[in-house]
Amino acid sequence: MPSSDRQQRLAALRDCIADIERKPALAQARVEVESRTGAFPQFGNGLLQEMFTDEPRNSGAVLGFALAQAKGLISTQRPALIYLQLADEGQKLGLPYGPGLLSFGLDPDRMVLVRVANMAEMLWAAEEALACRAVAAVVADIGSHSKLLDFTASRRLSMRSAATGGSIFLLRYGLGRQTSAAHLRWRLSPVPSAPPPYDSKAPGPPRWRAELERGTLIKHQASWLLGWTDDGFATFELERPIDDGLGGGAALPRAVPAQLADRLSQTA
Amino acid sequence: MRLVAVDPEASRAGLRIGQTLAVARAMLPELTAREIDRPLLEAGFADLADWHSNASPLVAVMTDWQAFGDLVLDITGVAHLFGGEGPMLRTLLTRLRELGYSVAGAIAPTIGAAWAVSHFARSQIVQNRDLAPILDSLPVAALRLDEKQIAGLSQMGLTSIGQLRERPRKPLQARFGLSLLLRLDQAYGIIQERMSPRLPPAEHYAERRFADPIGLMDDVLMACQDLAVRLAGMLEAEGQGGQAFHLFLYRVDHKVMSLSVNSARLTRDPHHITALFSHRAERLAGEYDAGFGIDMIRLAVSSVAPLDPVQLGTFSHGEAAEDLDQLNDRMTSRLGTMAVLKTELIASHIPERAARLAPALAAHHEPRQDWPRPLRPLRLLPVPEIVTINAEVPDGLPASMIWRRESYRIVKAAGPERLGAEWWRSGQRLQLVESDEDGEPASGEPLVPRVHVPDLAPFEADRALRDYYIVEDAHGHRFWVYRQGMHRPGEPARWYLHGFFS
Repeated sequence: MPSSDRQQRLAALRDCIADIERKPALAQARVEVESRTGAFPQFGNGLLQEMFTDEPRNSGAVLGFALAQAKGLISTQRPALIYLQLADEGQKLGLPYGPGLLSFGLDPDRMVLVRVANMAEMLWAAEEALACRAVAAVVADIGSHSKLLDFTASRRLSMRSAATGGSIFLLRYGLGRQTSAAHLRWRLSPVPSAPPPYDSKAPGPPRWRAELERGTLIKHQASWLLGWTDDGFATFELERPIDDGLGGGAALPRAVPAQLADRLSQTA
Repeated sequence: MRLVAVDPEASRAGLRIGQTLAVARAMLPELTAREIDRPLLEAGFADLADWHSNASPLVAVMTDWQAFGDLVLDITGVAHLFGGEGPMLRTLLTRLRELGYSVAGAIAPTIGAAWAVSHFARSQIVQNRDLAPILDSLPVAALRLDEKQIAGLSQMGLTSIGQLRERPRKPLQARFGLSLLLRLDQAYGIIQERMSPRLPPAEHYAERRFADPIGLMDDVLMACQDLAVRLAGMLEAEGQGGQAFHLFLYRVDHKVMSLSVNSARLTRDPHHITALFSHRAERLAGEYDAGFGIDMIRLAVSSVAPLDPVQLGTFSHGEAAEDLDQLNDRMTSRLGTMAVLKTELIASHIPERAARLAPALAAHHEPRQDWPRPLRPLRLLPVPEIVTINAEVPDGLPASMIWRRESYRIVKAAGPERLGAEWWRSGQRLQLVESDEDGEPASGEPLVPRVHVPDLAPFEADRALRDYYIVEDAHGHRFWVYRQGMHRPGEPARWYLHGFFS
C-alpha cells in the first residue's frame, strides 16, 4: 500500500501539471469550493465541460444546467451566448425557446442559434465562436456521437477555450463515454422539483442532480443536488449519502475509461 | 412556322428572317431547320452581358423588343479607359467578331438612337448635333415599333422617321397609341429612357487583370485580399464603409461568376472582407469551376454609407458588439444565411408564433414591451408530437402519458392554461360571393350595387383552442403538453407534447 507521503507527492505533481496545462480557472474553483463547503461554485472562464445525461428526453434539464452556469459568465465585455445544434436534430431535442429563456432568467437577445449541417461545421463554428472575445459561452448540443468528435477535437477545443477565455459546454446524451480532454465531466439527471408555495400538486422550480465524473473539485464530494432560483444556484443537502459506489472519483460502473482519459489529458 | 435566324450561307441563297418555313423549304429543299431554344439563348446571352461588365459597370439586356440579342452599355465616363469612344466601339465590336459573332453597334446620346443606328445604319458614333439628321433619315421600323404600327405607318405613306416627326401628334396618338410617341421622344432624347443593369451597381470597385489566367481558389483569394486593401484605401479616403461586397470573376470563356457577402455593420476592414470571402468560398466547394482560367477579378462594394474614422487601440470602445457582429458575419458566410439565427419575440399568445427565428444579420432590436410573461418551457419542439394521455376524470389533470413508446406516471401537474386560437388567422383565403338575400329592387328604388359577403366556414373556437398543462413524472422529467379542443363526450381527446422544461 502506498504511503500517504507518496500520495501527497503524487497529488502535488498532478497540481503542477494542471498549472502547466493552464487550468487556473479550475484551480480557482477548487479554492472556492474548499472555502465554502457544499455550495456550488461559480466557475471562471476558459473551461471545457462535458454534460452527459442518460436520455434525450432530459434535454431541457441539461440545457438548463448549462445555461445556469453560462448566465454567471455573462459580463459587459462578454455579452453573448452561442448555441450550436445540428439542423436535423431540432425535432429530437427541441429548440431553445425565446419566451422560455425569459422565464429562465436569460435575455433571448443574447443568444445566437447556429444550426449547422454536420459535425465538421459544428466543430468549426465552436472553435470560431470561442475565438471571439465577445462570447461568454458556447453551448454545443450533440444529440448523437460522431467520430469527428474524438480526443483530438476536444483537445483542440479545450486548448482554444483556455487560450481565449471563452467557456464551452458540450451537451451529450447516452451512457457511452468517449475519451475527451474536458476539464470537467458531469452526469446530470432531473429530480422531482421543489414544491411551489401555493399548490402542492404543481411542479415547482427545477432541481437537478449533478454528479462529477471527471476532474476533482473537492475531496469526498462528487455530487450536488441543485436548484435553480432567480438568484442563481441553490444547493441542498443530499437526502441520503450516496452509497451506490458513486461517491468520489468516477461515478459510473465504467470507471476505467474515464480514469484513463483523465490521465491522458494531463499528460498529452 | 417562320424563320427567326439564318446563317450566311442561307442568306446568300435568298432566305430571310420572317419567311415561313414552307416557303423557305420550297426555295431551298436541302435546308436544315432547327427549332429555336429561347431559354437557352436567353441564358447564354445573359452570360455574355455579364461578361461585358468588364467594359462598363452598367450593362443591361434590352428585352422590350426581343428577350436576347440587344445589349445596352452605359459608357458615361468609361470611354477614356479605352482611349476614346471610337477605339472603345472598335475594341468591343472586334473582339466579338473575332469570336465569330456577327455584331453591329453604335454609340449615341440616347438608348433609342443607338438601337436605331446599330440596327438600320452602319456602326458609328452619333454626336449630339448629328442626332436629329441621322434619325430623320432612318425608316420608321428603327423606332422599336411592333409590326402593326409599322404596317399602319407605311399605309399612310410614312416611311422615314423624319416624315413621321413632321406630322401632328394628336392624330398619331389616336391611331397608333401612346407607345409610338413614347418611342419617338425616347429616340430624340425628349423623354429619358432608363435601363435596369443586370449586376448590382457598384459605387466603388477595385479590379485586377491577369496576363496569365489564374484558376486556383487560393490565388483568387490572395488577389481578393490585394483588392480589399486597395478598396479599403479608397473608402477610407472618402470616409465611407460598405455592407455588401461582391467579387466578380471574369472567365476567359466569357462567363462571370459572382460571390457576394454581407456584413452586419458598415466596414472597410480588408482582413474582415477577405475572411468573409474565404469562408464563402469554402461553402462553394463543388460549384467553383474556373473553366479555362480567370483573367480579371473585380471587388465591388455596395450599400455604402458614411463611416467615421475610429481611433484604434487603447481608446477603442464598444468592441464587444463589433466582435460579435464580425463573428456572425463569418459564420453566416460559411454556414449560410439561414443557419445563424436570433430569436425575435412577437406579440402573440400562441406559443409557436410568439418567437421567430430570424437571420442574425437581419434581426432588428425592437424595444420590448412589458406584457405579462407566463411560465414557458426552455425548449420547444418545432412540431408538437402526439402523445397518449389518460386523466382520472375527463376534464381533470393528466395522470399518465405515453410518448415515444415509453410510459410516464405523472405525479405533479399544473393547468390548464387555456389559449384560444387567433380567429383572425384562420388560414383560409378570403373569398367574396354574392349574397342572395336581396331580391329584385322594386321599381322607383335607386339601384344599389349587389352586396358581396365573405365565404368562410364559421370559426369554431371550441375546436381550435388548446389547454396547456405542465406535467412532471416520478423521476422529475418536466413536460409541456396540451389538449387540442374542448373535451367532448364520446370523442377521444387529442393530446400533444410541445416542450421540455429545464
